[in-house]
Amino acid sequence: MEGFLQALAAGLLIGAVYGLMCVGLGLIFGVMRVINFAHGDFMMLGMYTAFYLFTTFGIQAVFGNAIGPFVAILLAGPLLALFGYLVHLALISRVSGTRTALLEGEGHYAQLILTLGIALILQNGGLIIFGSVLASIRTPLSSSAWELGPFFDISVFINKARGIDAIASLLILALLTLLMTRSRIGKSLRAAADNPTAATYMGIDVDRAHRIAFALGSGITAIAGGLLATNYPFHPFVGLEYVIVMYAGVVLGGMGSIIGAFWGGMTIGLVQQMSTLMLPTQLQNAAIFVVFLLIIFFRPQGFFGRMVERT
Amino acid sequence: MLRIEGLSAGYSSKPVLNGVSINVEAGQFVAIVGPNGAGKTTLFKTISGILRPSAGRITFGDIDLLAVPPARRPHLGIAHVPEGRQVFPSLTVMENLEMGAMTEAGQRGWKQNIERIFEWLPVLAERRGQFAGTLSGGQQQMLAIGRGLASSPKLLMLDEPSMGLAPSTADFIFEQLIQIRRQSGLTILLVEQRVAEALETADHGYVLEAGRVVLEGNNETLRADDRVRKAYLGM
Repeated sequence: MEGFLQALAAGLLIGAVYGLMCVGLGLIFGVMRVINFAHGDFMMLGMYTAFYLFTTFGIQAVFGNAIGPFVAILLAGPLLALFGYLVHLALISRVSGTRTALLEGEGHYAQLILTLGIALILQNGGLIIFGSVLASIRTPLSSSAWELGPFFDISVFINKARGIDAIASLLILALLTLLMTRSRIGKSLRAAADNPTAATYMGIDVDRAHRIAFALGSGITAIAGGLLATNYPFHPFVGLEYVIVMYAGVVLGGMGSIIGAFWGGMTIGLVQQMSTLMLPTQLQNAAIFVVFLLIIFFRPQGFFGRMVERT
Repeated sequence: MLRIEGLSAGYSSKPVLNGVSINVEAGQFVAIVGPNGAGKTTLFKTISGILRPSAGRITFGDIDLLAVPPARRPHLGIAHVPEGRQVFPSLTVMENLEMGAMTEAGQRGWKQNIERIFEWLPVLAERRGQFAGTLSGGQQQMLAIGRGLASSPKLLMLDEPSMGLAPSTADFIFEQLIQIRRQSGLTILLVEQRVAEALETADHGYVLEAGRVVLEGNNETLRADDRVRKAYLGM
């Protein structure tokens, strides 16, 4: 019982961060219908950006060891958003959005090759610049815990860093939800996702909407990456490990649904942690995909997916 | 207001429009009728900029429309109510209307516009919080028209507003269009397969066949024309 509650708590905490990570990708996929293979590597850049902001650019000195990492992680978000904006402007926009009418297969082949190429450049570029030594954004909070309970003699211990990671993830998700449902820009992103042609008839610049979505998605996943890095060490190829989880989460949630992507990520976090109760840790990822296949078998459109294709 | 001269357009070298010239004066209600595949929707897509013409000119007021990027054209005052409605299914009725009001004029006139839209199309007020994807076809068509009106347009372009609707719903939509036009003085360009209703409603008409204008005139001339009577009015 104690083990179960502990695994449940760990699953919920890591699930919230996975959820945020999936939301970043889900936003890009939902609005643009572009499969971005480099998204995990954008996250890796987010991790290193937070790492260097913290260690080399004085955030550690100003904010200290406990809060400093979280300040650096939040700052990495806008920086990676800017990076995403520029990557879209220079590369992605050439094979997506309104230009796809002229391309073979609506540009999807070109998008696959392009984002795979970007992924390779980022991974190997990262290896040259950051080196292959494992890095981590440790805070004293990573090795201390809050005690919840005792409930009926059972106490659950919450790692402080993971607790803050989960809370930060939920706050950012809430902000994004507000942006998408209340602001003109958020609504126009949703309109562009629903029907790009009709959005153009409304006077919405669809390519600009895509650029905003790509920037937002990159920034959000970068923050999620930074939060993960407070507990998990990382290296330039770490994106590969996460990008598969991200796509699983987005598919589980229902392609194109942002809140669905969050629940997809949450499911993966829970399955991963709960599986450790019964299975050796090496089988964590296998367990994720067994559950993934089961869910897709019974509900192929995902949790929040629409069966009807968009018009 | 809208002047189209010698317009040719099509999809990857297959021509659909062949030297089409059409003129819409401010305040006019112009109908373009013709059979399936005549190029009516292609004409609208070219005006909106989704398709690039291979030849010809389009001017709107004094502006060379072909030099304006597609997403800027609605801001000049052109509202396109597309074929098949194309509302945003995952947005609510109200949010769809707000998308119509993305133009500068639509934002300024929002309060006044929304009142009038709800007056003309009351079902939109009843269903304002509902997702557009859950509306019936007729309601979606009304939403598409309301969305177009929300932009405070100078020219409203309607592509087959009766398509796929029950005759009674189509009749209601035509009646509302007449009322909207009478009360707002809006310039309307209508493309329609229901030739009788379209010619009755409009003051000027064009018959488009196989990408060419084969006939034009005011509504009496067209309705009296033998070819129109035989081919479209079943007389």
